Amino acid sequence: MSEPTASDTAAHQPDWPGAIGSAIAIVIGAAALYFSSEFSALGSVFPRTVAALMMALGALYIVFTLRGRTSRGPRAEGSHARRLGVMAVMIGWAFALEPLGFLPSSAAAFALLLALANHEGWTVRRFILYALAGGLMLGGLYTLFKVVLLVPLP
Amino acid sequence: MGSLDFLLAALTPVNLLLALAGVAAGTIIGALPGLTATMAVAVLVPFTFAMPPAAALIVLGAIYTGAIYGGAYAAILLNTPGTPSAIATTFDGYPMARQGNGDLALTVACLSSVVGGLVGAAFLLLLAPPMATVALRFGPVEYFWLAIFGLTLIASLGEGSTTKGLIGGGLGLLLSMVGVAEVGGDIRYVGEVKSLLGGIGIVPALIGLYCIPVLVDLVAAPGQHLDAGGRVSGFRLGEALAKMAKSKFNLVRSSVIGTVVGILPGAGGSIASLVSYSEAKRSSKSPQQFGKGAPEGVMATESANNATVGGGFIPTLVLGIPGTPPDAIILGALMVQGLRTGPTLFTEQAPVIYTFIWGLILATLLMLPVGLLIGRFAFRSIIAIPKAVLVPSVALLTVLGSFAVHNSVHEVQQMVVLGALAWGLGRLGFSVSPIVLGLILGSIAETGFVQGHLIGGARGNVLAEFFARPISIGIVAFILLGLLWPWWVARRQRSKGVSLV
Repeated sequence: MSEPTASDTAAHQPDWPGAIGSAIAIVIGAAALYFSSEFSALGSVFPRTVAALMMALGALYIVFTLRGRTSRGPRAEGSHARRLGVMAVMIGWAFALEPLGFLPSSAAAFALLLALANHEGWTVRRFILYALAGGLMLGGLYTLFKVVLLVPLP
Repeated sequence: MGSLDFLLAALTPVNLLLALAGVAAGTIIGALPGLTATMAVAVLVPFTFAMPPAAALIVLGAIYTGAIYGGAYAAILLNTPGTPSAIATTFDGYPMARQGNGDLALTVACLSSVVGGLVGAAFLLLLAPPMATVALRFGPVEYFWLAIFGLTLIASLGEGSTTKGLIGGGLGLLLSMVGVAEVGGDIRYVGEVKSLLGGIGIVPALIGLYCIPVLVDLVAAPGQHLDAGGRVSGFRLGEALAKMAKSKFNLVRSSVIGTVVGILPGAGGSIASLVSYSEAKRSSKSPQQFGKGAPEGVMATESANNATVGGGFIPTLVLGIPGTPPDAIILGALMVQGLRTGPTLFTEQAPVIYTFIWGLILATLLMLPVGLLIGRFAFRSIIAIPKAVLVPSVALLTVLGSFAVHNSVHEVQQMVVLGALAWGLGRLGFSVSPIVLGLILGSIAETGFVQGHLIGGARGNVLAEFFARPISIGIVAFILLGLLWPWWVARRQRSKGVSLV
């Protein structure tokens, strides 16, 4: 039985990224299996079953790839630096919420994300427009959540 | 009192106004990623305590049905399901939006939601007591197989390979085990991170897993987020109606599936929409279009998830067992109103209950103008906002949405970390939907599995407990069908290709 994929008839290039992901799944499954030894019999039966199945499926996918029966999906295009930038800002934002407070951390993250997402040059008009839009969005949502919905934002 | 009297009782100006306001509020809340139908009902339920029972139920039903439909906006326009019920709507809704047919997708979603909602409510009106008894035949093992059915469906239907989908489902199941175990009380996979004791929140996970990869990829290239195809002229109602007329059997079947799955307590709209999507794809003359922007896919998922509203009310009202989480909140509101659920509710409190059911039907009908107007506004806004403003605005919503669930910064951190995980897995070609569904269905699957294991052990035959019960055999057969179908289709296509050569 070959691996059923939507793009079965497409030009085949073995799915090595998928095989790497499958190897990671095997490691996660092994770790889940290892740590389940600390659980009671009742609490460990399901994690062990799932972990074992995950490891088996991971191994199966690697075998499929080695036999050339998987095909790789399209590669991601565009700027990787911007992608990493967004990820870094989001992580920083989530961990700065408590120490800095909602408004300062969100204003900084909003400005950074805006700069990362803007592919056109900066003009004074654009700067003012985007700053106004950001201020309105941040202020509006802050009021909605804090004042109307009474969410205790940090 | 006859049925017409109950309809007239529901048609008072106050009830109509409440239904309209409820649908609009529910649709807007459901459209925001992170604010689910459960939250919409929970936030607005205190406003109903001072209302008469029938009016209170009508407004809650209207909020619920509006929120389930509202989940489709973010699914179609941002590839982020507003509610878990809209996961399968992303499969074809977002590709449609990318092709410049976002307005058509929203109109199809609205019309399908109305049809699904009406079918669900009709079942509630006509068949509630006998259908509720069917739900009682489902034991722990059947729930386990139902959860596995959902996982195998999403693995085989989603983008990419089935094996990778199943691995993703396994990862989701493992994530669902983090925290204190529901059965046995073990503390699992928490390590030194105490904030994980309560487990991984489904809503923050849903936002992070779906939304963060979209945001990350949005900034990579210049250009607009969505292409309107040069026309933002109307609702494209005629086009949507024509497509629905062609696919009327799909609509009715999906609505019935949604109602039946909605009756099963705990199963919910996510399974209903997946099963309907699977059936729509299986029976379609052009299944290869599914996942690439087929309106039939949106019809199937949206009619099914709105049909779960009426279906879910069946066990809630007849048995006092909530079919879905919002039903549980509405059950609480019923008790506050002094109504006791049970088979006698339909006789002893007939005026209130039948007025409510007619109110639900009216609210579903009102969803048509409200949904079309809000959908048009949402579509125009999304395509008009420059990407540089859209990205931080959506990011702000993800942070607020994941914080607001439990007012917890830890859940924002979970959301971002899971988003990074989803992005990384996406680069390796793993789809997000199986992980999310594994996380959602994990507790149902584990509880069913462990209880089935215990019952089978006590009876001396665990295998028979899992494989020899009639309903289980049926679900296992569907699981095998779901797993083997794509392989069989691919094999048939290959052999056809060979014969052509």
